[in-house]
Amino acid sequence: MDKAKKQQITNFLLSYGIYIVFALMILVIVILDPSVLSLNSLTTILTQSSTRCMLALGVAGLIVLAGTDLSIGRMVGMGAVLAASLLQAPNFERRIFPNLPSNWGFIFLVIALVVVLLACASAVSGTMVAKLKMHPFIATLGMQLVMYGVCSTYYNWIGGSPIGSLNEDFKSIAQGKVIDFGGGANLSLLVVYAGIAIAVIWFIWNKTTFGKNMFAVGGNTEAAAVSGVNVDKTIITTYILAGILYGIASVLELGRTGSATNNLGVNYETDAISACVVGGVSFNGGVGTIGGVVLGVLLLQAINFGLAYVDVDPNLQYIVKGLIILVAVAIDMRKYVKKK
Amino acid sequence: MKMKKILAGLLACAMLASMAACNSSSNKETQAASGDLPLIGVTIYKYDDNFMTYTRTAMENAAKGVATLNMNDSANDQSKQNDQIDTLIQKGVKALIVNLVDPSAAPTIAEKAKAADIPVVFVNKEYPEGTDKIDYDKCVYVGTTSEESGIIQGELIASAWEANKDAWDKNGDGKIQYVMLMGEIGHPDAEARTTYSIKTLNEKGIETEELANQSATWDATKAKELMETWLGKFGDQIEMVIANNDGMAMGAIEALAGNGYFGSDGKYMPVFGVDALPEALDLIEAGKMAGTVLNNPLGQGTACVELAVNYAAGKDPLDGTEWTLDDTKAVRVPYVGITVDNMDIAKEAYGLK
Repeated sequence: MDKAKKQQITNFLLSYGIYIVFALMILVIVILDPSVLSLNSLTTILTQSSTRCMLALGVAGLIVLAGTDLSIGRMVGMGAVLAASLLQAPNFERRIFPNLPSNWGFIFLVIALVVVLLACASAVSGTMVAKLKMHPFIATLGMQLVMYGVCSTYYNWIGGSPIGSLNEDFKSIAQGKVIDFGGGANLSLLVVYAGIAIAVIWFIWNKTTFGKNMFAVGGNTEAAAVSGVNVDKTIITTYILAGILYGIASVLELGRTGSATNNLGVNYETDAISACVVGGVSFNGGVGTIGGVVLGVLLLQAINFGLAYVDVDPNLQYIVKGLIILVAVAIDMRKYVKKK
Repeated sequence: MKMKKILAGLLACAMLASMAACNSSSNKETQAASGDLPLIGVTIYKYDDNFMTYTRTAMENAAKGVATLNMNDSANDQSKQNDQIDTLIQKGVKALIVNLVDPSAAPTIAEKAKAADIPVVFVNKEYPEGTDKIDYDKCVYVGTTSEESGIIQGELIASAWEANKDAWDKNGDGKIQYVMLMGEIGHPDAEARTTYSIKTLNEKGIETEELANQSATWDATKAKELMETWLGKFGDQIEMVIANNDGMAMGAIEALAGNGYFGSDGKYMPVFGVDALPEALDLIEAGKMAGTVLNNPLGQGTACVELAVNYAAGKDPLDGTEWTLDDTKAVRVPYVGITVDNMDIAKEAYGLK
């Protein structure tokens, strides 16, 4: 009886330990400055989480496959720089490409171009992982460097200066508000896009054959292959799906920031991967939920926001974030050991 | 299996193609070098730094017809830069232009150059003890002083505040309630700009109150998020935004615009930056940014090439130039405060005029 109870407590801690840590941290932040609890804070956190959420959803599928993606940040940078160079305001005198159109049709064409470009780049990573059996860490590390090199070459070629003065119509896609609650609080379009992305990816993961195959391949590749799953196709499709999400996130990130340099997006992969880990997507593959990923993104951004709000020394902020990731992975490994 | 071979083949082809591309550019360089122009080795601390991108464009323009530059990206890694210096010395360059990653590494670089008797012009990142303390007679520094950018920013803010006090001092207490967007922590420019901008204001008798001070690591997106956080926390208490560079100022302006500033109802917030990037000049022209400080990339890029060319010809580095050395063997290219009234100076420095 006693032993069973102990077991129960251990299981509870393993399942919810990381959330207890977050709850305590948020409590500390609130005690330090109670004014942080406001509708304005909540909507700001939601808006700031939106693009991060799309990136995390993309890489979550790859982590379910027991892989990873180190090229996210540089892919986002590439997409943003390309889109920025093509989407400058029509009346801006130093336009990089003065003769480009600026109507809605062209804006969506550019967005589509970026999405297709990043989906293709991601498909190349996926092909290297699936067909050449390269470790995803190495394949995407290579892709990260290539992307950064291509992006920087292009950036220098078009002048090597931050690209701003973007088309206002384009910016309104990312900065628009659905409902204004007053006092700076609002439901932004970005949150709506993130909601749609969450719904679509949830459907793909849970309701399609591809989704089931993805978990099968991630859990046990040999078993999946034996039971007739096309492993290579599943891996490549997961990478393409991730690339599409990166593409959408990169144009939205551009619209949100309002300007781009070739350094935009640097280290975004660490945020996305940490959110997945915190949200219980196992690095050992085959385990993960959309709800967990979304919660992971929101909690990490809440901590980011909270630490800045109470004016915590930035060096200390790195330590806190590092410890969160270590705790999350420690718990994940314990679960894995137990399962075995 | 066949698929794999094809893929591997494709990868190999792509690699060969990119190598061929590199090769053709280095061929071009040797041809130019054989045309009697001195070869000068250049290492830039980080290619994705906006300011250094302008500086290196200025270097390339200044070198046209007088020298061949061998450019290197040190990717923010001092040990990589050391390796690049070794390679350049091996290559037989006549002079080096070094934009240090880590300013305290200057003596190490100078030692390598001294052993090969190659003169060095350090640019933009200064040895903290002073270039005159380096044990090598053929080295000079071209740049600015970190403090000066903060002092000029402070002076700029002071005169703008005095002129607009009625509108900017929202709570009428005579003090500036400001938020500070700091660059990378520990970066000499970030520390100096943060300290000296406020110190200069206070020395001019303007009282200040810091509402918040956080590092956005020079990054526009991070600055935007911090500004959103502060607008939520302090709202209308904020009377001014001071940023260590224009990139962060641009991020803050984006956040302010998203919160109803700079719109038709005339809600305004003065934002100050440093660098005078072309994008910032546009914002100043549009009335969304109050001012910035020009760190003259044209002056720095031109000066270091002129000095290096003289060195390469075995002449005194200052021979025939407009520059002078101060007592720490440094050429100081002055900073200029930029507002809507004197934007032409900045436009000229970036080659926009």
